[in-house]
Amino acid sequence: MEPDASIETSSMIRVAVIPISDVTPLLFRDYAAMLIRHHTVSLSSISSFYTEHQKSPFAHQPWESGSLRFKFILGGSPPSPWEDFQSNRKILAVIGICHCPSAPDLRSVADQFTAASKTYSSSLVQRCFAFCPVDSQLEDESVKGSNLILFPPADRQTQEFHLQTMVQDIAASLLMEFEKWVLQAESGGTVFKTPLDSQASLSSEEVIKAKKRRLGRAQKTIGDYCLLAGSPVDANAHYSTSLELTRLTADFFWYAGAMEGSVCALLMDRMGHKDPVLEDEVKYRYNSVILHYRKSFIQDNAQRVSPLSFELEATLKLARFLCRRELASDVVELLTATADGATSLIDASDKLVVYVEIARLFGELGYHRKAAFFSRQVAQLYLQQDNKFAAISAMQVLAMTTKAYRVQSRASIGPSNDAGQTHADGGKVHHHSIVSLFESQWSTLQMVVLREILLSAVRAGDPLAAWSAAARLLRSYYPLITPAGQNGLFGALVNSAERLPLGTRCSDPALPFVRLHSFPLHSSQMDIVKRNPAREDWWAGAAPSGPFIYTPFSKGEPNNSNKQELTWVVGEPVQVLVELANPCGFEVMVESIYLSVHSGNLDAFPVSVSLPPNSSKVITLSGIPTNEGLVSIPGCIVHCFGVITEHFFKEVDGLIIGATQGLVLSDPFRSCGAAKFKNVLLPSITVVPSLPLLVSHIAGGDGSVMLYEGEIRDVWISLANAGTVPVEQAHISLSGKNQDSVVTVASETLRSALPLKPGAEVTIRVTLKAWQLSKTDSDAAASKGMPGSSVRQAKDGSSPLLLIHYAECADVKGNKNLCLAREPETVSAPPPGRRLVIPLNICVLQGLSFVKARLLSMEIPARIGEACSTQAQLERGNTEQVNGSERHADRLVKIDPNRGSWGLRLLELELYNPTDVVFETSVSVDMENTSNQENLSDNISAEHGEPKTRIDRDYTARVLIPLENFKLPVLDGSILGNSFQNNGTSGSRNNSFSEKNIKAELNASIKNLISKIKVRWQSGRNSSGELDIKDAIQAALQASVMDVLLPDPLTFGFRLAKASSGDINVDREVKSCVSGDSIIAHEMTAMEVLVRNNTKEAIRINLSIACKDVAGENCMEGDKATVLWEGVLSGISMEVPPLEEVKHAFSLYFLIPGEYTMLAAAMIYDANEVLRARARSDALDEPIFCRGPPYHVRVSGTR
Amino acid sequence: MIVCVAVVGHQNNPLYIQSFTKGDDSLLRISILNVEGCSYHSLKRHHIVHCSLDVVDERVNNPKKSGLIINETFLGLLNPTENYKVYGYLTNTKVKFILVTTDLEVRDVDARVFFGRFHTAYVDAVSNPFHIPGKKITSRKFAERVSTIVKSFGLSSGG
Repeated sequence: MEPDASIETSSMIRVAVIPISDVTPLLFRDYAAMLIRHHTVSLSSISSFYTEHQKSPFAHQPWESGSLRFKFILGGSPPSPWEDFQSNRKILAVIGICHCPSAPDLRSVADQFTAASKTYSSSLVQRCFAFCPVDSQLEDESVKGSNLILFPPADRQTQEFHLQTMVQDIAASLLMEFEKWVLQAESGGTVFKTPLDSQASLSSEEVIKAKKRRLGRAQKTIGDYCLLAGSPVDANAHYSTSLELTRLTADFFWYAGAMEGSVCALLMDRMGHKDPVLEDEVKYRYNSVILHYRKSFIQDNAQRVSPLSFELEATLKLARFLCRRELASDVVELLTATADGATSLIDASDKLVVYVEIARLFGELGYHRKAAFFSRQVAQLYLQQDNKFAAISAMQVLAMTTKAYRVQSRASIGPSNDAGQTHADGGKVHHHSIVSLFESQWSTLQMVVLREILLSAVRAGDPLAAWSAAARLLRSYYPLITPAGQNGLFGALVNSAERLPLGTRCSDPALPFVRLHSFPLHSSQMDIVKRNPAREDWWAGAAPSGPFIYTPFSKGEPNNSNKQELTWVVGEPVQVLVELANPCGFEVMVESIYLSVHSGNLDAFPVSVSLPPNSSKVITLSGIPTNEGLVSIPGCIVHCFGVITEHFFKEVDGLIIGATQGLVLSDPFRSCGAAKFKNVLLPSITVVPSLPLLVSHIAGGDGSVMLYEGEIRDVWISLANAGTVPVEQAHISLSGKNQDSVVTVASETLRSALPLKPGAEVTIRVTLKAWQLSKTDSDAAASKGMPGSSVRQAKDGSSPLLLIHYAECADVKGNKNLCLAREPETVSAPPPGRRLVIPLNICVLQGLSFVKARLLSMEIPARIGEACSTQAQLERGNTEQVNGSERHADRLVKIDPNRGSWGLRLLELELYNPTDVVFETSVSVDMENTSNQENLSDNISAEHGEPKTRIDRDYTARVLIPLENFKLPVLDGSILGNSFQNNGTSGSRNNSFSEKNIKAELNASIKNLISKIKVRWQSGRNSSGELDIKDAIQAALQASVMDVLLPDPLTFGFRLAKASSGDINVDREVKSCVSGDSIIAHEMTAMEVLVRNNTKEAIRINLSIACKDVAGENCMEGDKATVLWEGVLSGISMEVPPLEEVKHAFSLYFLIPGEYTMLAAAMIYDANEVLRARARSDALDEPIFCRGPPYHVRVSGTR
Repeated sequence: MIVCVAVVGHQNNPLYIQSFTKGDDSLLRISILNVEGCSYHSLKRHHIVHCSLDVVDERVNNPKKSGLIINETFLGLLNPTENYKVYGYLTNTKVKFILVTTDLEVRDVDARVFFGRFHTAYVDAVSNPFHIPGKKITSRKFAERVSTIVKSFGLSSGG
């Protein structure tokens, strides 16, 4: 059996090519390659070398179209026992190849060649080609006449031409030798024998039989030579004769041989032209060949020789001839028959050849799996021969099968994998990796193949191949391998690695499995923001790069959501989290693992890690970007088990996806108890040039600031540029919750510090005011206790964030040149800016808590006296003087006794201190109302400024806020100008206002009022703040707002009339007035009642005055009247002009000293709607009754 | 006698391989250290099934040339390998059923009947809501049913 057998093989002249003297294998191969190119020599080209010595036996030689074909056998081959049977098996020529520089003595070369060619007894022509001779060798005359042919040094083309000529010469010589031989054979009595013919004992009968057969055999052999000589017609003639003769003598073996020759002659004649008729003919004849070879099987010598190999060879020849897709079924049948037959072949190498050929033919048909199957058989045969070279062959053959079994080494797939797509499903194209996932389920077969590769590699002494096979086996099939087996593979890996030089790389990764875990986002201190060159506030248009993955503003960009983008900065370390898994039963020591960066602009730092059996770990791999540009990180470089491999994330992702679909045996991460798979997409990473880097720290520690509700405090934040580029632009803004708790930010300080050089530092002040805890917060705080709540508060993200956007290149100055140079050319975006997020960790503690607010009214009757502020005085504008003097006289008197405080309202706030510190509160009213500012503020400072209310822990305190002051200024202050006073008699409302307007105005007024009331508190030395009680006040005031704010339409007042008492009494009156307004019994006391109209329309009233004693009895009427009077006291009809006062004088005579109360009341006639509204009366004709506050009259006894 | 039946998925992934010779049924978990000792025969069956996919692929990809009538699911004799004959069947979803038998004479009718039943059994098995398409069939009931079908192979039509 011979490899590469085809039908045409019969027409090939076998030429042994042997190295002579010292030729390095490389040179020999080089020269041989040059020679092999001349495998076909046309007859026309050799005619010049050919001389016809005698009549050529090849009468029909096609000199024009025919050719001689050579089969060069490098290194030669031993003679075959079947040479007589098939002449093409003979070595008919020997070509020696000699490299002259390494063989100086040409004589000895010639001798060596002669000796070597002697071993080829069948050779007819011998030549020795000596290449590159030196001059001295060229001149060497001694080798003239020998077979040595010198090829003078020349360029390749010339040499090839020279060589071609020499080959043509050889061809011509061979042709002449063939002629000679054929002439001899026709005449002479050559005996043709094959090993089939029994040699031991030639009985006479057999001798006769052999003689009979001789003729047929001779004809067949002559036919063979005709074929070799390139004359198919002659060959065919001889073969026909031979067929006749051999059939007659029942020499089936030779018959089959002649038939084979005749087919070859037929094909040669057709010059490679194929048609179905020819194919059928060939098929028919070859079937007969196969049949006859089978017939020639002789049981006797079956143990020694068998024509079986010829039968199989013929089958293979036919299969090769037919090997086309369309005839696949025929070929498969032939090949199957061959494979069946091969099992009974005796010679192992024959078997090998058969399997190799079968595998090749199946491969050619496109039956890759069958080809792989037979390749594996070949490999097993190789492995049976227990030597290193066979093992290497086995390994190589197995390597070829890996593609069909989808276990190929990554090295053999190659970087650009065009064959990565395969048509598996009705022409649909699937990506290689997916299909390989599916096909990887033939684990039984795959493991066997890999194991055999491992075995053969170990035997062949190829540690890298062994390592690779063991790695593939372990990585792909660990779930099917017992722990003992896993350990065995571990040992194989380690043993192989020991034989490998340090730092060997292998394309196939072993363990551990590596997958991308996550890219840690920039810390908030390092955020990078794309600059929007079109805007002054460049950060506004650009989406922030984090920490928020989702922002509603980026929703419109669909691409944004599925492809994350990352920006890294040159020189700033970056981190990538990867997860490693070791699902096997032994510990995996990863000597080093680092990011594999194909773009080459990242310095990755190796990490060493050890993975216990069945475990997984998330580790951080870091690196420093070195150059700007895109970074691609397809995987990790792992140095493990002594070999460096690259692990791609993509592959593991595919594996895990396959595991979820059930295509792969097991998910290595899941089996190690790792967290559930998150599909981490490899983001596109861009490296940008160095940027400035601001680092912040809050003076007094970066912990959270503990503030009580409403507390105001300054925080100092120092910013330092830790980058290598100055900060030239910076802008501070706020974000997050509770932004209004930041009162001021000293952004000016920062701006004035620009540009901030690397290393420079600036401190800015931020004033904070703690917000109110919401109800739930305080509840939670109460339930958890203070420390718990503070932690929660800090994490809640309820604190505001201070955002500082800063960048290197200002628009106008700074690196202007750089910017300008860049922009017009590349129109590239300016280098990105950065954002520093400083979380103002405010932890708000519950401070004073507001329990309730109540509106209290206080009724202190006024005393009648002369000093009672009069309208005249007020109109003269000396209110201040009066008040001032009063105040100076007695600061503690807060209520004017002459005025009383009828209808005075006090807002009572009940505050509770749940904290463990002491609070002091004070109430203040900020009045910025223009006209009476001085007046009121004076009042307030007197009344509320100084005293502080101390509230101890766990105590409740009440704070009173008098609201009286607000009656006047709020209503129509601007209209009435100075025409109001402290006692509450005020200008009226604009009657033209509709009620609605009034209400709106009122509400505004209330708000205004409320905003002016401030309850400040202080605790300790440096805590101070303000209580937020607006809502509470509003709620308290809401009910009685009318009463508080609106003046009555009429105000009444009593006073002692000075004028009426006459000049005599002046001294006393004045005295009495000053001394306390005492009225003496049994004296006529002149009094006046003052009625003031607070509206803008004249009011007609019916006034009446009453006086009551301590018991509340009317003391002016009835039997026991104790007071006598002069003047009219009831039913006084009068009209009060708008905003004016009317006096009504009368006199009283008190019979008994004591306390009396004066009351004035009036019926209003024809009330307008405003009055009605004020009085809350609906009926139109109902009279409106107005009552004035009571005035006390103290009547002392006679002196 | 049927020695092996197999279900191969549309991506040529084995879904079910069952040998019907004695003593070598546990093929899926093979210790790597003693593959040959454990299941030489089943390995061989695996190879036969695997190799037969070549022919199925060819017929699937060139339905016209191989004379496959549309909607014809029975692929016929795929290849005679050594002592075995391999028959194939292709469902509309490109799932292949492979039958390996040692019988030298198998009537097409028998094979068709067999595959028809086998197909029904397969459909029932994958209709199980707990079955994940593409995963190996592990249903014990399916296995039982298959062995029943295998046992009755050739009997129905008097073969």
